[in-house]
Amino acid sequence: MTQINRLGGGLVNQGQTLSFTFNGKQMQGHPGDTLASALLANGQLLVGRSFKYHRPRGIFTAGSEEPNALVHLRSGAHQEPNTRATVAELFDGLTATSQNHRGSLEFDLMATTDLLAPFLSAGFYYKTFMWPRAFWEKLYEPAIRMSAGLGRLSMQEDPDTYDKGYLHCDLLVIGAGPAGLGAALAAARSGARVILADEDFAPGGRLNAETLEIDGMAGRDWAAATIAELAAMDNVRLMTRTTVYGAYDHGTYGALERCTDHLANSGGKPRQILWRIYSKRAVLAAGATERPIAFGNNDRPGIMLAGAVRTYVNRYGVTPGQRMAVFTNNDDGWRTAADLAAKGVEVCAIIDTRDAPAVCDVPGARHIRNAGVVNTVGRKALRAITLTDGQVIPCDGLAVSGGWNPNVHLTCHQRGRPEWNESISAFVPAGDLPPGMAVAGAANGALTLGAALEQGRNVANAQIEDLGFTPSRDTPPRAEDEPHTGAPVWHIAASTKRAWLDLQNDVTVKDVKQSYREGFRSVEHMKRYTTLGMATDQGKTANIPALAIMAECTGKTIPETGTTMFRPPYTPVPLGALAGRARGREFRPYRLTPSHEWAKANGATFVEVGNWLRAQWFVRPGEKGWRDSVDREALQTRQTVGICDVTTLGKIDVQGRDAAAFLNKIYANGFAKLAVGRVRYGIMLREDGICYDDGTTARMSENHYVMTTTTANAVLVYRRMEFARQCLWPDMDVHLISTTDGWAQFAVAGPNSRKLLQKVVDPDHDLSNEGFPFMACGEVTVCGGTPARLFRISFSGEMAFEIAVPARYGNAMMGVLMEAGREFNAVPYGTEALGVMRIEKGHAAGNELDGRTTAYNLGLGRMVSSAKDCIGNTLSRRPEMNLPDAVKLVGFRPVDRTKKLIAGAHFISEGKEATMANDEGWISSVAYSPTLGHSIGLGFIKSGDTRIGEVVRAVSPVHKTEMRVEIVSPHFIDPEGERLRG
Amino acid sequence: MADFTLTATPPLAGYNRSFGSVSLKAPANLAIVSIALPLGGEAEAEKAIKSAFGIDLPEIGLFNAAQGETSMLMRLGSDLAFVLFPCETPDAEPRVAKKLKGAAYTTDQTDVWCALEISGTGSLAALERICMLDLHPDAFKVNAVARTVMEHMGAIIARTGEDTYLLLSASSSAKSFLHAIELSIENTA
Repeated sequence: MTQINRLGGGLVNQGQTLSFTFNGKQMQGHPGDTLASALLANGQLLVGRSFKYHRPRGIFTAGSEEPNALVHLRSGAHQEPNTRATVAELFDGLTATSQNHRGSLEFDLMATTDLLAPFLSAGFYYKTFMWPRAFWEKLYEPAIRMSAGLGRLSMQEDPDTYDKGYLHCDLLVIGAGPAGLGAALAAARSGARVILADEDFAPGGRLNAETLEIDGMAGRDWAAATIAELAAMDNVRLMTRTTVYGAYDHGTYGALERCTDHLANSGGKPRQILWRIYSKRAVLAAGATERPIAFGNNDRPGIMLAGAVRTYVNRYGVTPGQRMAVFTNNDDGWRTAADLAAKGVEVCAIIDTRDAPAVCDVPGARHIRNAGVVNTVGRKALRAITLTDGQVIPCDGLAVSGGWNPNVHLTCHQRGRPEWNESISAFVPAGDLPPGMAVAGAANGALTLGAALEQGRNVANAQIEDLGFTPSRDTPPRAEDEPHTGAPVWHIAASTKRAWLDLQNDVTVKDVKQSYREGFRSVEHMKRYTTLGMATDQGKTANIPALAIMAECTGKTIPETGTTMFRPPYTPVPLGALAGRARGREFRPYRLTPSHEWAKANGATFVEVGNWLRAQWFVRPGEKGWRDSVDREALQTRQTVGICDVTTLGKIDVQGRDAAAFLNKIYANGFAKLAVGRVRYGIMLREDGICYDDGTTARMSENHYVMTTTTANAVLVYRRMEFARQCLWPDMDVHLISTTDGWAQFAVAGPNSRKLLQKVVDPDHDLSNEGFPFMACGEVTVCGGTPARLFRISFSGEMAFEIAVPARYGNAMMGVLMEAGREFNAVPYGTEALGVMRIEKGHAAGNELDGRTTAYNLGLGRMVSSAKDCIGNTLSRRPEMNLPDAVKLVGFRPVDRTKKLIAGAHFISEGKEATMANDEGWISSVAYSPTLGHSIGLGFIKSGDTRIGEVVRAVSPVHKTEMRVEIVSPHFIDPEGERLRG
Repeated sequence: MADFTLTATPPLAGYNRSFGSVSLKAPANLAIVSIALPLGGEAEAEKAIKSAFGIDLPEIGLFNAAQGETSMLMRLGSDLAFVLFPCETPDAEPRVAKKLKGAAYTTDQTDVWCALEISGTGSLAALERICMLDLHPDAFKVNAVARTVMEHMGAIIARTGEDTYLLLSASSSAKSFLHAIELSIENTA
């Protein structure tokens, strides 16, 4: 196909040809084209089918507001649906396919839907598919989804990469049209740091689409010269192909930069970047969007906004048709006719709704006053229009201009409400704009070139003066103000055919009227009832005409009727860009224990614990399942000695003259009198008395403590302690710093733990029970002088130590401990065996400290000191939290020892119905005890400590099971603690 | 007693890679010790610091480096500073403590952090992808230091030269941190 609609000139490089395909058809265009301009150049007016009625649709605009020309761009896994052809930059090898049809684009089998239109008016599916109820999910919804919709996903993983980044500036200028360029130039010349962002690949905005002049130069030349000047300045960052899509708090803006969308291949670089822009001030110069006039069958391919026609003619050197008509209610439409004629395109008629003289001379065009278009002819392409007086004018293109709406969207992102400006019949920014934002140019209602330039400059100067910059004294650019008067006409009432308001959602004037009749009169209700203004274009061309019609229905003014709320994003942002680089393995950071490499080489299976990867168990040859490994690790630890990397526990270095007093306030139990060289177990309460963490703290010297927290709460505890230090007790001399990552710490547990450590700890340290008893701590050296810390603490219930070395030695230390333990048949154990042993011992962990349990519930009530002031002890004494029948932590075992307990099961007394009212508690942790040879559990049950020996039912409605369980002591092994003191 | 030896394997040891306009390396044997100023004893502590390192304790958000010396003193908060210096042995903290003679509290931070030095004309563009701070030369001058977050990881950034930055982050997530920096460089190279 040749480019039958290509004219000369424009900003495309006609010296170079690019090949592309649309629905498999080979076509040609030029650098500087969009897919839309290239399709038009090739005479391809029909580009898609409409959302609901599968009506043939063409290209309606020349910008990001496009409701119709949505295509699948690229192919295979790279395919992206709903790409607006009007902003898709053409490249060699581009492939595009049309959307939403069954069969070919030309012969869409679903087009029969259009014949059913009388039955498918607004809200039909709210009424029609009510019965039978079960059919909605199974039948109706799938059927509707299949027949209606936009593009389709490739259903493959997106092979492109995305990134994000952060930028800072004094002034962010949004939009590089005349106002934006004027603003950026003024600010940049004053020395301010400026970011100028524009969604187009060719900055200049309407200057590229018009034939207006600035300072005696063609507007587009002035734009190019200005861009060149800005690009050469160190204090300016020029961002083309970048849409500022949202205004957020404190001058922060979201922007999407399309880096490689215009290239056939991204070359391994991110396709798009999501920027967070921190601005001190911003100028919104987002321009305006032309609005259509609604009339019968106004959706045919070949009908286009008049400003868009000028863009195609002047910027791309393309005409949408060979015999064009213009339908307008304002002066601006006349310029389309003039520009078409100047390019040699036949303009057969200018239909003006006003009874006014010609705005300018357009050779060959009939001027039809005080008239409107009521209908059009031509199914897949426009063939003729019918006017209010009945005359039919053959034409293959119709340019429609209903006036311009300022793009106020970003001014509303923090709930600003625009106000109606009668002189331009449009909403303009008003009220509370996002802090730091000012608006200039067409976005502010200054719809003429001279006014836009001047406003851009003045607004920018005011903004930077506010920041302390002195505006430059250069001569401002000047331009004439073009004629722009008009009279609002929203729809042609004489039309009897369906008149489309929202082309993307197939919403007609009739639908809005029906919405009114059925009581959905608020614009927000109307929007939801009719689906007006939804989907990818968010009603950029549809909203204002629709609410004008609602205003007509209600008899109110347009400002009384109001607008819907604009929210980010301004134009669609791909989910891939929002996800950015956080994908797959790098979805979030991961933390490795110091002995990770050793564990990996020794058969560890890893489990994610927060961000940590911890060894869960170590598989040995012949083991058939995880239980084999875990049972072996737990048994061998209890029989001889086991080693576990416990580095993940939080470690907080606490120093200061008031450290003891501080810890005494942080912990619920007493810490003031902890002796140097000793460790104490402690519990921490929230202010409301709930127990939120536990751990040990060692006093290394008079003013130096080392605290350990649970792995999960390491950050929380640190944060709360910093808050206490800085805000609650700033007069205390206390200093905190995390050392979690600094020390590789290993639990060495079991009857042979001392013997093992005696081989590793340098011999001048006494590890005997007398020299280093249970709950001792101290600084030691290992392996011939390496500094280490030793703690005599036990989570397993066995005689146990924890030894810490600088993390850099962690991997080696694990090897050394295993080597030293070889003669004792030492075993490495993972988190699962750790869990088994702590349940056997009856130690509470995260399952028990679940944010609902108090020290009283945990059986640790006596630890909460009433003799001191500490966080949480006052509210922990509330009577309701100390009732005699409160749940208490106890142990459980199945009456039938062959059965497996289920964590989460609830306790019901025997003979009672399993209802919420009879619920007495729950099982929090379960394990198979290899020591006892059956399933055991910890849990909470009312008055548990007084019910030892009682049998209750453990009911799990989720698993549809129940079993009889016996309440026992939580200490399944060594209840007297003889082993750990041994 | 068996003769056991511990070999140090810091997470990024020996890392050194060039990406065209950007170089990235892990400084070898960089010891870090935190210095906390006792409440009410700040003046004495500052005096002791000056005497110990020959440089003043800088203002918050800056670091000082002794002329011709490789050690640097970062002021991270009203009562917190880090001293960084080359040290091969695991005794950085006692060394500093000895110099300060009890005038401040010290904690060894060497193994808490991993360090990367990014340098070259493309550094700033790479850092824009992960560092939310304003690193414009006018806003973040040479000798500036700040605590921040990069890719969800806590980090410290110091501008040590015109195009050179020292980055510190948690040693346990060193691999994620390295990946984040490398990817930022690759994406902007």
